[in-house]
Parts: sequence; C-alpha cells; structure tokens
Amino acid sequence: MQAVYDALIVGAGGAGLWAALELAQAGVKTAVITKLYPTRSHTGAAHGGVCAALGNLEEDHWEWHMFDTIKGGDYLVDQDAAEVLAREAIECVIELEHMGLPFNRTPDGKIDQRRFGGHTRNFGEGPVRRSCFAADRTGHMILQTLYQQCLKAGVVFHDEYQVVDLLFEGGDAGEGGRAAGVVAYRIADGEIFPIRSSAVLLATGGFGRMFRITSNAWSLTGDGIALAWRHGVPMQDMEFFQFHPTGIVGIGILLSEAARGEGGYLLNDSGERFMKRYAPTMMELAPRDMVSRAIYLEVRDGRGIGGKDYVHLDVRHLGRKVIEEKLPDITDFARVYQGVEPITEPVPVQPTAHYAMGGIPTDIFTRVTRDEHNTVVPGLYAAGEAACLSVHGANRLGTNSLVDLLVFGRRAGLQMAREVGGVDLPILARNVEEPVRAELRAIRDRPSGESASRLRRELADVMMDQVGVFRDEPTLSMALPKVRELRERYERVSVQDKGRTFNTDLLEARELGYLLDCAETTVAAALARRESRGAHSREDFPERDDVNFLSHTLAYRGAPGRPTLRYKPVTITRFAPKPRTY
Amino acid sequence: MPDATLRVYRGTPGQPAHFQDFQVPVDEGMVVLDALHWIQAHRAPDLAVRWNCKAAKCGSCSTEINGKPALTCKARLSDFAPGETIVVEPMRTFPLIRDLVTDVSWNYEVNRRIQPFTPPADVPQSEWRWQQQDIERVQEFRKCIECFLCQDVCHVLRSHETDNLFIGPRFLVRAAGLEMHPMDTADRLPFLKDEGGTGYCNITKCCTEVCPEHIKITDNAIIPLKERIADRYYDPFRMIWRRLRGTKAPAPAPAATTKA
Repeated sequence: MQAVYDALIVGAGGAGLWAALELAQAGVKTAVITKLYPTRSHTGAAHGGVCAALGNLEEDHWEWHMFDTIKGGDYLVDQDAAEVLAREAIECVIELEHMGLPFNRTPDGKIDQRRFGGHTRNFGEGPVRRSCFAADRTGHMILQTLYQQCLKAGVVFHDEYQVVDLLFEGGDAGEGGRAAGVVAYRIADGEIFPIRSSAVLLATGGFGRMFRITSNAWSLTGDGIALAWRHGVPMQDMEFFQFHPTGIVGIGILLSEAARGEGGYLLNDSGERFMKRYAPTMMELAPRDMVSRAIYLEVRDGRGIGGKDYVHLDVRHLGRKVIEEKLPDITDFARVYQGVEPITEPVPVQPTAHYAMGGIPTDIFTRVTRDEHNTVVPGLYAAGEAACLSVHGANRLGTNSLVDLLVFGRRAGLQMAREVGGVDLPILARNVEEPVRAELRAIRDRPSGESASRLRRELADVMMDQVGVFRDEPTLSMALPKVRELRERYERVSVQDKGRTFNTDLLEARELGYLLDCAETTVAAALARRESRGAHSREDFPERDDVNFLSHTLAYRGAPGRPTLRYKPVTITRFAPKPRTY
Repeated sequence: MPDATLRVYRGTPGQPAHFQDFQVPVDEGMVVLDALHWIQAHRAPDLAVRWNCKAAKCGSCSTEINGKPALTCKARLSDFAPGETIVVEPMRTFPLIRDLVTDVSWNYEVNRRIQPFTPPADVPQSEWRWQQQDIERVQEFRKCIECFLCQDVCHVLRSHETDNLFIGPRFLVRAAGLEMHPMDTADRLPFLKDEGGTGYCNITKCCTEVCPEHIKITDNAIIPLKERIADRYYDPFRMIWRRLRGTKAPAPAPAATTKA
C-alpha cells in the first residue's frame, strides 16, 4: 500500500486540525495522520481559555498582549512572531465562534473574557480580561469544533496510524533536501507503508513524558521533533521546559491555576505560607516559574510535607460553595485520584513538567528552518507545541499555548496551500520504508535485552531530579553521562510482545528513542546556557545574561549523546529587554 | 495494603479467549489503569491496552469492569471490596482487536452522517450575540469525551443488530448540541427520525448512568429530541392539517433564519 496526498498533517491536535481545514477548504487533497483518534489529542486537556484582545469587557489592545507575551518569555521571544500571535488571535477566536464553538457570554451576549496570569493592560499596569473560554473545556471544544469542520471540508483521516519516519528527496533535510512524505505504521495490524506528499506539517506536540512527574498525556514523546532532528533539522531552545507548580503528587495531573486565583494557599510542613519568603507581594500568584522554584526549595530544605517531595494546596478557607462551584475540576481530580476531600483536607501538590517552549525551529510562516540564517527546509512545516518560532521564549504565558496552535496552525494551512500548487509530487524510491522497518524489526526480533519500561523509568528519574526546576553545573554534569549511558543501553532494547496486532510494547520502545533524543539536547543546551532566564534556572548563574545569552540555542545531532550547539539571534522589533519584575 | 487481584481478558479474534489473573501491589490512590500498567511493566508486556491522558479527559481507556462500562483511569482500586476480584474486559458492543482494545471506528463513521454546524450566511459579527443561559445546555453536551461507554451500555446497540438503524446516545447528544445551538440553521429532525432511529431509544437511562462526564443524556438530549420529532410528525392536529392540505411531509424549517 502507498498513499498519495498533496498535503500531509502529522498530529491531530488544534494546530494540525486547523492547518488541515485551511488546506481542504483551498481544494488541496489533504490527510491527517494521528497515533490516536483526533479528538483524543492533548489540546483537549487545556482548561483555561484562549487569550485574544477582543476588549469585550474593558479596553484591550493586541500590542498589550504582544508585550505581555514577550515579557513573560523573559525577552527570548521573537517579537515579530509575538506580533503575529497577538494580532491574529482575535480573528482566530471569531472564526472559532463562527464554526460553532460555544464560548461563554457576557450579559450583553458577546464572548465573555476573564483574567489570566501575566496578561495585563497598558504594558503591565494591572490585570486585564483577555481569556475567552467555554466553561472549563476550552481546548476540548476547540478540538471537537475543528474536527467536525475538517470532516465537512473533506479532510481524510488516518486514525491510529503512527508516523515512524520522515522522507526527503534531493538529500536529507539538513542538506538541502525537500520533504517527500512519511513512513506510517498502522497500529491495529503493524502494517508499514510510505505516504507520499510534497508538503508535510509536523504538529506532534511536546515531549513531557521524559519527566517522571508530568501533566502530559502518554502520547507526548516528541515524535516529530526527534524525527526531524534525525534528518538534520536542529532542536531549538530545548533547555526551556515549563514546570507548572500545582500537579497532583505522583501523577502530575494539573490542578488549575484557578485554585490560587480564587485565593488558595500553598503551605509547607509547618503550615507556613512559604511564598511570603519568595514573593512577598504576589504570594501564591507569582509567575509559574517562580512558584515552582519556591516549592522545590522548600522540599529540598526538608520542609516538604512529612519531609517528602510535595507541599499542600489549601483551599479549605474558601468554603464549600466556592470550592464546588468555582473549582470543580480540582475537587473532582483530588477526590478521584488522591482520595482527598479538598473541602476538609489540604491537597498534596508538586511541580509537574508541563510545556516545551523548545522544538522544531520555524519562521513566522511555519516553514521549518535548519540554521541560524533561517534557511528553509522546502516542503516541511511545524506548528503548535512541536514548533519553536519562538513565541514563548524562555517561559510561556498561560493560555498562549492555545493561541499559538490556533494562529500558527491556521498559518501553516494557508502557507502550505500557497506553496503546494507550484510543486511536483515527489518521487519515492522503492522500499523507501525499509530502513525504519529494519529498525523496528531489530527491536521486535531481539530475543532479550534492555527493557524499554526500565530505561524509560531511569530516564524520567534523571530528567526530573537533575534537569528539573533547578539546575547547576554539577547535577547537569551527572545527567549528561547518564543520558549517554541510557542511549547506549537503548541500542540493545527488546520487547516481549512479538506480535503485530496493537503492539504498544514495540511502539513505546520506539517512542523511548525519541525521548532520549529530546533529553540529550535538553541536557546539553541546559549545561551550555550559563545564565538563568524564564524556566531555565541555574543556581550557579542566577542572573539573566543578555550580553552572552540573548540568543536561541540550536542543537544538532552529532556523535551519539554529543549534540552540536549553535546559536541564533533573537528578533527584537519593539521592546528592548528589561528586568522581569511583576 | 493487601494486593489486588485483577482478572484480565486476553485474546484476539478467531482465537479462544481466556482470563488471566494477576496479583498487583496496591498503592494509595491507584486506579485500575495503574494496575494494568503495573501488569504491563512486570508481568505481561504484551497486554494490549488503549489509553492516553489518564485524567478522564480523552476517552481512550473504556472497558467493562466487573461487568459495568467504565474508564479504567477513573476506577479507584479502593472502591472495590477488600479481596474482591476485579474483572476487566473489553467493551462488548464493539469488535475486539486484542485483549482490552476494541475497534470503535464505527462511531466515527456514524459521526460523519450528522450534518455539521450550519450558521446563517452573511450575518454581521454584531449579531453573533446570545445569552449565557442559551449556550449552557450546548456546553453540557459538548463536555462529551467520546469514550463511547454510553454506546457500549445501550441495549439497542449491544443486544440487537441495529447498528445501522440507530446512531446511539453519543450521537443523539451531538445532534442535540447542534440543534440547540442558537446560531445553527440546519434541520436534522428528518434524519434523527428516520436514519438516526431516535425512536429505538426506550429511555432506560443506562447511558446517563455510565457517563463519566455526568451528562444527562436521556433527560436533556434524547427526550427533547423525541419531543421535537413527536411535535412535528405525530401531533394529531398537524396530521389532520396535512391530510386536509394533501401534503405528505411537514414543511422544512425556514433555511435562512436562526432558531430561537
């Protein structure tokens, strides 16, 4: 079997679906390939909302949103990209409304908006109502809305097919080659076949599964990022990974920022509101990176609850009515997953790995770029969490993940539709899928060897404990050889499931390889960045250093475990870097 | 804590299936999916399980636990009696792929048959206004995570050869969410009455009972749709009027106006 499409979308989250929609509406023969069913993508887990300067309740301007995004990202944000993000967010929200997304309404019937961390009026004067939302299910409703529109527009879906390799013609991606399609693996029966296409969008999401405690779903293993990297595309800004302060202990599921927004406390073992020592003015409502650091320090100094690795989120003083009406998800999660009753008990929480600011470098038209001169890889595009423009810089602002995937998913579709017209379909060599087939066969046929689940646990431990919220030279220097060791052991990985039908044992082993790629570049980039900026906190270099590090890291594949690092300047158009205080 | 005993369905189509028992060490807060993961990591790496978010938001991990359709990620081990064997089986309404994984693709085919959101043409943005109370019902239906537990439990789909005659509770919920959207102009009642098979539902409310999102499927979606169909097609006065006028089908809803 070999399929042919004019445009191919890998991943069916918000970015992938909107791109597919634009393409199909432009008359381009388009397919989406996803290792899940489309509406099970992780976009669906987003609760908070999507920020857009509609100004429905008070004065607001996209320039303010742009500024907040840049400052939130600790000035590592490319400002041309932030401008696109803030401007086009407005049209995207209106378009979604016209596709039937049931946004909450104001008393005069317009889209309702609420406050969210870091979003301000008039360049930091105070909070502004900017986040548009549909109950507490904004992401889920975005997915459903876009999926139904895609069906209407005639997009073809390959559900539960996993992309296991990317194809190029005229050389590899790093050598000037152009995208020619992908190799797909049908999960139901293990069939492997190439799909030919002259335009390929990577919208495969992040890679939070490389950490032990994460809010990310099982599928977020960096597939697209790692596959592009293996073909010569660098990974950009991998050292910036956002930890959300309030994950459920041991599981990492997110307890929304709303709990602290409504007035919840964070308490250490002696019942102290420890944030007063870290952020005396903002207390629990300090930015995510600051709160996560504070929790981590409390735990490390032995003030975690019972000396363990978590603190308490306490909402009891808010009363039953507020808790049940305004914090329903927290109440539900705590009851189901912890057996804790938030009305009468404090809820154990710890920082949870949440969002990759880094990823596949692209320009503002979502075209993948492969060097510091922004040389485009023809036919290859990336959008959403998998991509790194960068609109989030060193730290993403709340709701901007949804804004990013809407704005740049749409841009991807429009750009691909413009470009596929003038290109001939690539010609694939015979048996082009053979290398990856052999790789998978090697894993499956190896009679015994390293267990993928053990390697994954060891990787998750080293990334969590040594490359987590706080970093310094000694711990990163320990992590580096450990990741190399895991990579060497991975060469001998084997699985016990030798069958073809729904063999998740095999696919998880394959995905572990992607996570190792992402881990390797994360550690190397973190070690080299000798400053603290946004989510990257070096205890040995606690200050931001704009003289030496106001630049994006590009990590290329080198010898195993030894990526090559290069740097690319940040695009600054309007806002000169200033100290980041709130 | 004492171990839990899980009795897990193993098998592929065409092969004799069997149950395999596992003793699983229990930690505080564990759910059935955690126990299945423990089994995969330590006892049976070839156990096929479909899952993704582990937060009851993606709808992937639907099975039948002790005979009742349930998400494995939301079923706490501590909710079972001490010593109780926890039987985990695939959903029975859908064809088996392997072990706990079933082929749910039929649902996505059904979904395609429902006319999508159809807003009026050329209404200016200033008229896209409605009240919060008008959208709350739609939001309830849009909470659906498509776990298909309602489809699994529905006896019309489970026990009869009706999968081409009845679209099932999930898609009546979807249709209701569209029909009740303040800006939708399409008319899905003819479809719901005939191809949709809305009449097959006899309101046993099993679907509502198993919904992990607590959507009042029967009361808020299915019954109102049945009432709309009854009003249009079976109202005796309208039937007499139609007979007098000599028309067969009721007049379709005006195409270019929005619903109240």
